[in-house]
Amino acid sequence: MSNDPVEKVLRSFREELARGVSSRAEFERLKGAYLGREKGLVPQLLSTLKTLPASERAAFGASANAAKNEVEAALAELAGEIQRREAASRDRAAAVDVTLPGRRGHAGGLHPLTVVRRRIEEIFLRMGYSIADGPEVESDFHNFEALNFPPEHPARDTQDTLLLDRPARSPLLLRTHTSPVQIREMRKHGAPLRILCPGRVYRKDEVDATHSPVFHQVEGLLVDRGISMADLKGTVSTFLEELFGKGTHARFIPTFFPFVEPGVDVAMSCIFCKGTGCPKCKGSGWIEIMGAGMVHPRVLQGVAIDPEEYTGFAFGLGIDRVALLHYGFPDLRLLFEGDERFLRQFAGPA
Amino acid sequence: MKFSLDWLSEFVDTAAAGGAEGVRALLDQAGFPVESTQLAGSDTVLDVEITPNRPDAMGHRGLAREVAAMAGLPMRDLEARYAEPDEASRGESAEHLASIVIRVPRLCRRFGARVVRDIGSAPATAGMRRSLAAIGAKSISAAVDATNYVLWDTGQPLHAFDLDKLAGGLVIVRRATHGERLVTLDGVERILEPSDVVVADAERAVSLAGIMGGLATAVTAGTRNVLLEAAWWDPVTVRKTARRLGMHTDASHRFERGADYGAIPGALNLASRLLVESAGGAAAPGLLDAHGSAFRLRRTVLRLARLRLLSGDPSLTLDFAEEALSRLGFTSERRGKRIGVRIPYFRADVRREDDLVEEVLRVYGYNRLPTRLPAATAPGEFREPLRIVEDRLTDGAAAAGFFETIQYPFVDRDSDEAAWGEWLRITDTALEPLAILNPLDGTRRHLRATLLPGLLDTLARNIRRGAEGAAVFEIGRTFGEQGESDRPESFESRRFAFALAGEVRAHWSVPEKLRGADFFDAKGLVERLLSPWLPASALRWKSVAVHGMTAGASATVETRAGRLLGLAGTVSIAERQKRDLPAAAFAGEILIARIPSERRLFAYREFSTLPAVTADLSFAQPKDLTWDAVETLVRDARLANLESLECHDRYEGSGVREGEVKTTLRLRFRSSERTLSQEEVNHEVRRLAEALGSRPGITVSGWEKA
Repeated sequence: MSNDPVEKVLRSFREELARGVSSRAEFERLKGAYLGREKGLVPQLLSTLKTLPASERAAFGASANAAKNEVEAALAELAGEIQRREAASRDRAAAVDVTLPGRRGHAGGLHPLTVVRRRIEEIFLRMGYSIADGPEVESDFHNFEALNFPPEHPARDTQDTLLLDRPARSPLLLRTHTSPVQIREMRKHGAPLRILCPGRVYRKDEVDATHSPVFHQVEGLLVDRGISMADLKGTVSTFLEELFGKGTHARFIPTFFPFVEPGVDVAMSCIFCKGTGCPKCKGSGWIEIMGAGMVHPRVLQGVAIDPEEYTGFAFGLGIDRVALLHYGFPDLRLLFEGDERFLRQFAGPA
Repeated sequence: MKFSLDWLSEFVDTAAAGGAEGVRALLDQAGFPVESTQLAGSDTVLDVEITPNRPDAMGHRGLAREVAAMAGLPMRDLEARYAEPDEASRGESAEHLASIVIRVPRLCRRFGARVVRDIGSAPATAGMRRSLAAIGAKSISAAVDATNYVLWDTGQPLHAFDLDKLAGGLVIVRRATHGERLVTLDGVERILEPSDVVVADAERAVSLAGIMGGLATAVTAGTRNVLLEAAWWDPVTVRKTARRLGMHTDASHRFERGADYGAIPGALNLASRLLVESAGGAAAPGLLDAHGSAFRLRRTVLRLARLRLLSGDPSLTLDFAEEALSRLGFTSERRGKRIGVRIPYFRADVRREDDLVEEVLRVYGYNRLPTRLPAATAPGEFREPLRIVEDRLTDGAAAAGFFETIQYPFVDRDSDEAAWGEWLRITDTALEPLAILNPLDGTRRHLRATLLPGLLDTLARNIRRGAEGAAVFEIGRTFGEQGESDRPESFESRRFAFALAGEVRAHWSVPEKLRGADFFDAKGLVERLLSPWLPASALRWKSVAVHGMTAGASATVETRAGRLLGLAGTVSIAERQKRDLPAAAFAGEILIARIPSERRLFAYREFSTLPAVTADLSFAQPKDLTWDAVETLVRDARLANLESLECHDRYEGSGVREGEVKTTLRLRFRSSERTLSQEEVNHEVRRLAEALGSRPGITVSGWEKA
């Protein structure tokens, strides 16, 4: 075994290194022991240089420098290693169970009727309809008379009306349909006109799975020169396809509403069985969805629009009913109970 | 309304029309949807929906006419069925046995009668009873069944009197006298008014015109001589009387909708023949046929141009129109590019040209008409700016974690809204609630003046059903405004309300004591929702005492100009207890119409990229010194380069005297020209500390670099 002091320092350094350095403290001790400015073994080796005879200096200096380089390089590597190990340990400490629930905040959501109403509005806004609004407290004039329901007309029986206890020239009531908005808008803006009037309406109906004294309608009206049943059919068909999907067919049969002539009942091919017949469409393959018709000339005259110059069509549908069909829930009452377990099912992006 | 396929077959060849399914399809095309069909022995019963404008189809003859017209099949010739019953009639003529006087000629345009004498007590013939049974009508006696059969056959309601009980054999059609009494067939005594029309004999009212006969003169088992009545009654009069008396009969249903002026003789002829066939006796010769004011046959014109315009179908011709109208019983004559049309008596609903267009198109089939889209225009817009505001509030609330709900607006002002009296007062609510005359529920006959009570009910319902918390809102109208009756819209106010209960910040990482909501959640929501129009700095909050809210933890919010915008606060103990709501519950309401509908304008302001120096300043202050006042004190100190001021912390507890709170301000300084030194910032903070410290009640405890 050599008694060379450089060899000796190196050997002990290598032994210590081989034993392993597990902590920063050990590392610091090791670094101090070999490279410490005062007592470090390597600086001490170098400091003996000047005590040696000149002939030995060159060789000793070279070997001492080589040893210094080796120690420094080894310690630098070790420092990196310790740092990596510390970082890993810090990460370990900061680790979380990534499967725990995130802080989502409370999710809220729009009422399904709002979602459906907006979808309908979007379709008609694109078709050039403006969205109009009217009051829920209405006069008999706007709700009935101007729509060609004369006083004491049996057609009024189909709309059980909640009347208000307040004297007025034209009796006050809660509107039974959104059609009075037609009258207000035509009086205000005349023709031509394209409007859509969504809103809340009221009828004296006892509450059950399919009836509610409060429900929602959307009414459309288009008045212009040369408007025909063909335009009505095209508009309604396009709308139903956009709302319920391609391949939804519309069927048009006559019916009676006092404010249109001819009057139209619109059914669509059953969206559940595609028209083959199922319990939802009572086996008929068709689902009644809208009322419509050509605006009655008396209604136009009443708002000072000349029915010889202008014709128009109107249509209406129940938003609640569309929601019921669209989402497939069984009971209208769910819409008005405000139960979050119901509401959160439709909580898409606001 | 129920119809027998066999009965329809008496008028039209239903087999040729495709049997029950074919008839169903034809009725659909005609606008009479069949709700169900049911086999009844060899017959099929159709349940048909008949719109109120079509009384003519409320009998088998009329409905068969529609089937025939749609199918292009002929109606069978049944003239004999409705012809004078010559062979059976003998003896004294009817005009010697009874006479008719119409005192209200406008309300009774025609009153026809036939007399049948010496009937026995046999019931109606088996055939008649079978027909009636098929459509669910009960068999009562030969005379009553004969009138019923004719009603369901022709649609014309009839009434049978016991002629011997009619004093003086006299029939007078007149107005009832005030308070006149009549016991109707159902045994109910009716008290009449002069607006009612009655059929009377020489002494008293014997029938409520067009609605129900009287009990005293009704046909009984002992009846021998019968007077059959068929008349045309004014629809409005019948409807008013029936409604006032709460009556609705097969007869009133038809008369209200307009009966067939021309059907009277035929109906009486058929009824008297059926009665004789069943119960024997003989029809007295002669039809009594009294007329009131003339009932003119209406005429109108149909232009080819109008037909093509409304239908959108240029291939439609006048030939087709004439054919279609003729199948439906109209007569017409061609005059160039138009036809003159006579409207039959039984079509009370057809009055003008567009009605004829509908008739032609029904026969043509709506589904055969072309389909096209109206010419495109520019996209539409929202006519009502408030709708845009509402949509933004909706989206904002949903994004903030609230669910949209819809409440019924029916309340009782005294019980439901009592706790909100002060809120109603400051929102200019009328003292008298808007009430419903005919409410569904007598205990909730008022329309709500605020959304809050209903929303709290919904909140409580969620908790009651087991939810640990709930956050809900509603956009809707309230009806408490001091409205003007002639402007219905003036009663309404558009509102947004929200309510929350339970743990808003619940998460496994949040300690339990920090999970509950407090006033600042409510206030923050309002600030956040209003921010598209008004920055938080433009809002003024003032403590308010509303019973529904906790005093001292509720406030109104106004614009700087003092315009009331809303209310927010912690729900009061009483309101919570009433609904079993947990302690952490808050709510608020915003008056939508008072939000400026123009959105805020945002403009770029230059900002400094130099570093900021931040300092915290803490002081003890009396609790009643508001943050607003503290902000003002800071502003008044005019600190150089102060960029922002925040309330960093509020602390009460050990080390802070009773009645005081320790506030820590966080001040951020920044210059746009140079980097500030700590010394100059310290100088400013010291100035503020001295300024605050000189105020009575404020003790500055220290400041430090944040």
